[in-house]
Amino acid sequence: MLLETPIFQAYRGEATPRFVNEAELEYAKLLDYYGVPWMYEPHTFVLERDEDGRVTEAFTPDFYLPEQDLYLEVTVMKQSLVTRKNRKLRKLRALYPDVRIKLFYERDFARLAARYGLQQAS
Amino acid sequence: MTGRSGLDERIGDVYLTADELRARVRELGDEIAHDYAGREPLLVGTLKACIPFIADLSMAMPIAHHLDFVALAGYGHAQLGGHEQIRLLKDLDREIAGRDVVLVDEVVDTGLTLHYLTRTFRLRSPGSLVCAALFDRPYRRLVDDLPIRYVGFTVPDEFFAGYGFDVDERWRNLPDLHLVRRF
Repeated sequence: MLLETPIFQAYRGEATPRFVNEAELEYAKLLDYYGVPWMYEPHTFVLERDEDGRVTEAFTPDFYLPEQDLYLEVTVMKQSLVTRKNRKLRKLRALYPDVRIKLFYERDFARLAARYGLQQAS
Repeated sequence: MTGRSGLDERIGDVYLTADELRARVRELGDEIAHDYAGREPLLVGTLKACIPFIADLSMAMPIAHHLDFVALAGYGHAQLGGHEQIRLLKDLDREIAGRDVVLVDEVVDTGLTLHYLTRTFRLRSPGSLVCAALFDRPYRRLVDDLPIRYVGFTVPDEFFAGYGFDVDERWRNLPDLHLVRRF
């Protein structure tokens, strides 16, 4: 599915963001509408390396809000399927305790969609 | 969609009665009046949902204060595509430089609206700037740096009608706060 690429005004990244699902795009539009500076996947956090120092597990949160120093991770997986993501998040918090991150689940997006009239994937 | 009671069928049970709301608002009014004793704060309401709250709050504050209002273009009215940004449909009637400003908001949810207002008003150099929110729904906060000093109730993640909250622009006038059924 090819997602639209609007002209964003509060986007603070360089490369054009390539969203992987409708929910990411809608969160981006919402942040942009309210003028909250945001970046898309600007940082990757290493979670695990093998004996040779090669990265074997990493986590790249979807959004970073530089003024808030806050990461947002958006998932559209059903609640029952988010165990792996939750585990990664716990690991990230343990390894990088100063990093502030919030995870938004599918149910959160559904609520926001109802409140703001966001586009939901069919 | 009207039920036997004459209300919209989506209007559900009472979550907070008018008496419970007014009692809490009176407490907030006392608290704000105490904090701003000897000063004349400016209460700024965000139209339209805040109307019952700011009216009750103002009457509960036994100190001199001023009232003003702003109206914002909500996201629901924006053209999709991210080309638009939030803007004031109605700005303040007076300057706020050096003034003690209390933003009066019915509910803080994602925090995006309050974030915008805070950012906008700080550019005008108020003496101080805080927010009084009747309801806090902190479950999906997208921004954190918000000057929320007074909170009436932390409410569950539900839709409400009455005491300023609407369903399709109706039922803001209901004195109690009702849950809204979603079909």
